[in-house]
Amino acid sequence: MSAAAGTAGTYSPAAEAGGKRRERKEELRRHLAEDADWPRADGRSFHDCRPAFMQTGPTTAASGSAYAEFGKTKVIVSVFGPRESKKAMLYSDTGRLNCNVSYTTFATGIRGQGLDNKEYSEMLHKALEGAVMLDTFPKTTVDVFALVLESGGSDLPIIISCASLALADAGIMMYDLVTSVSVSCLGKNVIIDPTSDEEAWQDGGLLVSYMPTRKEITQLTLTGEWSDGKITNAVELCMDACSKLCEILRERLKDSTSLASE
Amino acid sequence: MAAAETDTTASGGLAGEMEVEAYRRLFPLAFLERHLRESVRPDARRLAEARPTTVALGAVSSAHGSALIRLGDTAMLASIKLEVMSPPTETPDEGSVAVEFHMPPICSPLVRPGRPAEMAPVLSKALEDVLMSSGMINLKELCLISGKASWLAYLDVYCLNADGSLFDAALISAVAAFTHLEIPLVSVGDDGRVFTVGGNEGKTKYELVNREKRKLTLKDIPFALTCALHKDNVLADPTAEEESIIETFVTVALDSSDRLVSIQKPGGGVTSMATIKTCITLAKERRHKLQEILMDSVEAMEVDQTG
Repeated sequence: MSAAAGTAGTYSPAAEAGGKRRERKEELRRHLAEDADWPRADGRSFHDCRPAFMQTGPTTAASGSAYAEFGKTKVIVSVFGPRESKKAMLYSDTGRLNCNVSYTTFATGIRGQGLDNKEYSEMLHKALEGAVMLDTFPKTTVDVFALVLESGGSDLPIIISCASLALADAGIMMYDLVTSVSVSCLGKNVIIDPTSDEEAWQDGGLLVSYMPTRKEITQLTLTGEWSDGKITNAVELCMDACSKLCEILRERLKDSTSLASE
Repeated sequence: MAAAETDTTASGGLAGEMEVEAYRRLFPLAFLERHLRESVRPDARRLAEARPTTVALGAVSSAHGSALIRLGDTAMLASIKLEVMSPPTETPDEGSVAVEFHMPPICSPLVRPGRPAEMAPVLSKALEDVLMSSGMINLKELCLISGKASWLAYLDVYCLNADGSLFDAALISAVAAFTHLEIPLVSVGDDGRVFTVGGNEGKTKYELVNREKRKLTLKDIPFALTCALHKDNVLADPTAEEESIIETFVTVALDSSDRLVSIQKPGGGVTSMATIKTCITLAKERRHKLQEILMDSVEAMEVDQTG
């Protein structure tokens, strides 16, 4: 490492002060919170998701892997195993699911440390745990590792959906694919698949992880401020989007198996 | 799957009844040697042939410069972020580069979270040495105001899929990220802090510090080739499978004028000078090829921007 790298006191230059950009952002925030309909920064309407690009098999070294790109958010998930559990683990009749989420140093606007995200690792585990047939791989562990290459909002739901595609790609037995979608409550409106800016402005957030074929929710997280009437609608909105996302996952899995059999 | 032919030399009669994939895993050395006898490698390459390589510039929008490269199945993502620092008093008119190589757990079954790969810091250092000693970057170009402010370029290279020859791949991605690097326009406020100025160069009310220095002039770009040495065979650009079987490696780095930047042979079996020379010759050929690939990707990027 260069001599200067260790010394503190470096900073990323901020954008010029009082810039027009900030005013424009503030105006957009007001419109999103108060108007009945207004185009979002990327031109979507309130209930449109970003176009989803998903693919299996970016990491050949893993048993299964998947890449997901929703707008600026880019995620890779690798699945390893079933393989030997850590030596310190006690005997277990059922398999173990081990999840880890980390960010690259350049994932966010300001250079980070690239550390593990413990909260997301735990949430990912909880979202998938109910869907994986743990008794099909006793005594062993399946590792699910996610790396966020670039963070552009709705990171966790995208990690969850991508992880379930990677698990399927690895041939791990599951009751159903898990897809996940989040919405943000902003003033009077509910906005689906929020970007980083929209997440920063939100009054409340809701994340639903869902198994569309079984119509079962594996995880539901509600944060912040919500008025009563909106929650039911928001959950239904998420479930509907999850079902559509699941179709995309299925297509990708069909693509990869038809390629393999050729 | 076809059964392996009866092998009388390597692993005795066992091989006769075995499926190819099982033979490959149980007797990896014999499997490799049977290929080498036919002057071919398990992935159907010739011995001196490197894997197909692609370079895509600008893969990360949150960085000032970035590149995603693939070398066969090995994938590397390099990204550069610029931060402002006050330069040390010994070199008041120079910026600095901080190199870090990461092997996240997604890239290989051998890396687990919480236990960083042993190879990562080694490659980090090797990468920094080759980049800085090649003289590719003129650190003076990273200076903003002499003695007051200069750029510190954080170069982070992430291995996304580890399938051998990681150093070669990391170096291509790092070099490609530097060719893609675009330095933002900046000005200095009354408090001495540097801030970025938005797009339209002509109209801004601020005095710009770096109107001319938007792209680094890269000279003598280094490229590397790793060769695996097994008995009399020299295998260019080994895969992870080959690396796990063979013990001796030579990595040669050359710059764009074919001058040697570094030769590394970390341990392994003994070898002759003649073999090292063979490696250098192969590295020269590879250098030409890589330079072409890099130039093509720069052109493709420019066409994208204008079109």
